Amino acid sequence: MWSRKSAMLGSLAIAMYLLGLTLRNSQLVTIAVVIFVFLTWAALFGGHADVAATGRRADEWSGEEGVALSSVSAMRKLSSARIFEDGELNITLRMQNHSSLPKILEVRDRVPEVMRIKDGANYILMELGPRRETFIEYTVECPLRGFYSVGPVAVRIQDPFGLFHKEKELHVYNDFLVFPKMEDLKETFVKSRVPKIFTGAVNIRQPGPGSEFYSLREYFEGDSFRAINWSAYARSGKLMVNERERDAVSDIIIIVDSRSVAETGPVSRNALVYSTRAAASLAKYFLGRRDSVGVIVYGEEVVSVDRDTGKKQLYVILTKLAGAVARGNIPLQVVVNRILPHINKGSPIIFLSNLEDDPTIVNALRDFRARDFDVTVLTPSSLEFEFDARRIDRTGYEVMKTERDVLISELRSLGVNIMDWEPDMLLSTALAGARGF
Amino acid sequence: MTVSRPSSDTSHLYDGKTVRSSAPSRKKAAGQIGSGSDIPTDAIPQVEIPSFIESLLGGPLVPKTKFLPPDKMVQNLQLGVYGILVALALLTYMISPAEGTMWYMFTGSLTIATVFQLILIVGATGTGFWGTFQRDGRFLLVSNLLFILAILRFASSKVTLSNDVLQLQDNPFMLSALVVVYAVMLIMYFELTNGVLRYSMLDTSIRTNEVYVMNPKKIVGKYHRSLLINPIIATILATIVLSANTILPWFVGILSQDTALRMEESVELISVYGVALGTFFVFCVVGGLFALNLPTHLQNYREKRAE
Repeated sequence: MWSRKSAMLGSLAIAMYLLGLTLRNSQLVTIAVVIFVFLTWAALFGGHADVAATGRRADEWSGEEGVALSSVSAMRKLSSARIFEDGELNITLRMQNHSSLPKILEVRDRVPEVMRIKDGANYILMELGPRRETFIEYTVECPLRGFYSVGPVAVRIQDPFGLFHKEKELHVYNDFLVFPKMEDLKETFVKSRVPKIFTGAVNIRQPGPGSEFYSLREYFEGDSFRAINWSAYARSGKLMVNERERDAVSDIIIIVDSRSVAETGPVSRNALVYSTRAAASLAKYFLGRRDSVGVIVYGEEVVSVDRDTGKKQLYVILTKLAGAVARGNIPLQVVVNRILPHINKGSPIIFLSNLEDDPTIVNALRDFRARDFDVTVLTPSSLEFEFDARRIDRTGYEVMKTERDVLISELRSLGVNIMDWEPDMLLSTALAGARGF
Repeated sequence: MTVSRPSSDTSHLYDGKTVRSSAPSRKKAAGQIGSGSDIPTDAIPQVEIPSFIESLLGGPLVPKTKFLPPDKMVQNLQLGVYGILVALALLTYMISPAEGTMWYMFTGSLTIATVFQLILIVGATGTGFWGTFQRDGRFLLVSNLLFILAILRFASSKVTLSNDVLQLQDNPFMLSALVVVYAVMLIMYFELTNGVLRYSMLDTSIRTNEVYVMNPKKIVGKYHRSLLINPIIATILATIVLSANTILPWFVGILSQDTALRMEESVELISVYGVALGTFFVFCVVGGLFALNLPTHLQNYREKRAE
């Protein structure tokens, strides 16, 4: 395939040739002939490459691979198929030359654009001996959650002057998943007021079997002697027993807003990024507490993960969160109407949204509150992200900030625990703020 | 947030509804919020796709990232360019006398045309030097264009020299050899300046860990070999192609000595049109070979022979 350089030289030669004839200038004809000879020699015998004509990557592939590249193959191995945001992935690319001729190749393993090469290089110039193979190792840093794919491998071979080249894409793909990163939470201040039949680690502020002290009461027949508080008996002269706060498994519902408006802001700093990270952190915390956690992600459609417990549930939730894409504009009311019949009355609900572009938010959250659900709203502010990225001016920011504060105040007046989550605030701080601590 | 996209205006959703939480301006603002899931333009990493001129030069016309100080390879290439540049300047001066130049046609004065021609050559050399030293594609492009401009002459078919210190004017073969050498030097000048930029970029990419090069000595060695072999081959082949006026009579001479002699002395054959015609036939043959996909067959043959 002709490179731009060879095309330019070819055009120059033709122009000089014709001009030479027109001007009857044999020098021009001679120069044109030399350029033609130069190009012909490179095209016929320059089968091996060194540097790209542009010194840049093989971004434009035309599919003209030629014979020289038919004997080159590639395999790839990833260190892991699942990692967390800001995690590192080691990629090993194995290049094989099945031919008996050595080849000088330009190899570029395509990685998603959001990835950063931390160690090594995915763009290599190499001489691959006859029937030899070589391993290329590099490490990428994955700053953003999502489903990703590494590949294809672009291979290029060209003459030393970069006049002609052949390119091939080896369709070797490896998929991997980047989970949202999680913050370690010590306390969330979220507890269920409704007992469930299975005992667990969460106290629900009702007397029953549990570990935390709840109150003292008089002894009744049948009470365990171990529960008698002897100090209180000594003080009052009556047999008193300790009552404990009932432990129970809570149902925690986390709702993540992934409408298209949730991605307002820079790619790495927007409401959806913050919401998914918060949802992952909360899910891990609650599941660690042996709660039953369900997640609803809504945007273009309502995607839900049924309540369940355990480590497996965490992976299911993380996978759904990794795949959350900002799309669609389903109102919260639709989500609430759909899930209300299926969740236990009084269950804590954590709603993660920037509260933008949805007129039904107030009514939807009122519906929750009316049924005595414990609603916590963490709202990453798109305004702050946009303002930090200098995409809105000060006046616009102030106006919209005021409107946002009005909305937050209105929701707070409904009994919703709400916190305007500023970009630099830790999740635990935001949660504590929402719960009034 | 302030991106205005008429197609994604959602303000109609608010029609007839009470937006309790918001001031009236919010309705408009919310309606204008972009609802696409596209990545904002300022968040997309920049992909460097070279322009046509950049491809020709081998590097950026206006360097955005500064090259790191040149390594030994680049320094050697720069020295090579300086050497070729001096030779090219002298040869250009020799084979492009002021007669027949555009300046001569416009001004009608040989002195002015000579001064213009000299300025052109000195300008081409100076910008070439500076461009190579600074590794700046803009100066190199100007230099290339000035050299091409210097050779554009409304001349007769016969090659004339402005300064015949080597007494070549009476030796047609040496004269055409000189022109071939000049042409090869011009191409090598293009290639070496291109190489300076290419290898500067490559060196910078290697040192910034963007590219990894396995066994760089072999790769550089291949380039060095090509820098030596290709001009020699180009010189030989071009000389053969341009000697059609002597080669053709030699073949004809096998059949008829008289016809061969007439051909040798024929003005048509030694004229620029004769040379051009011979060249045209040669390249028709080469073009035919390409049309038959000869490079692929050749590569196939080499692969099979190596099996």
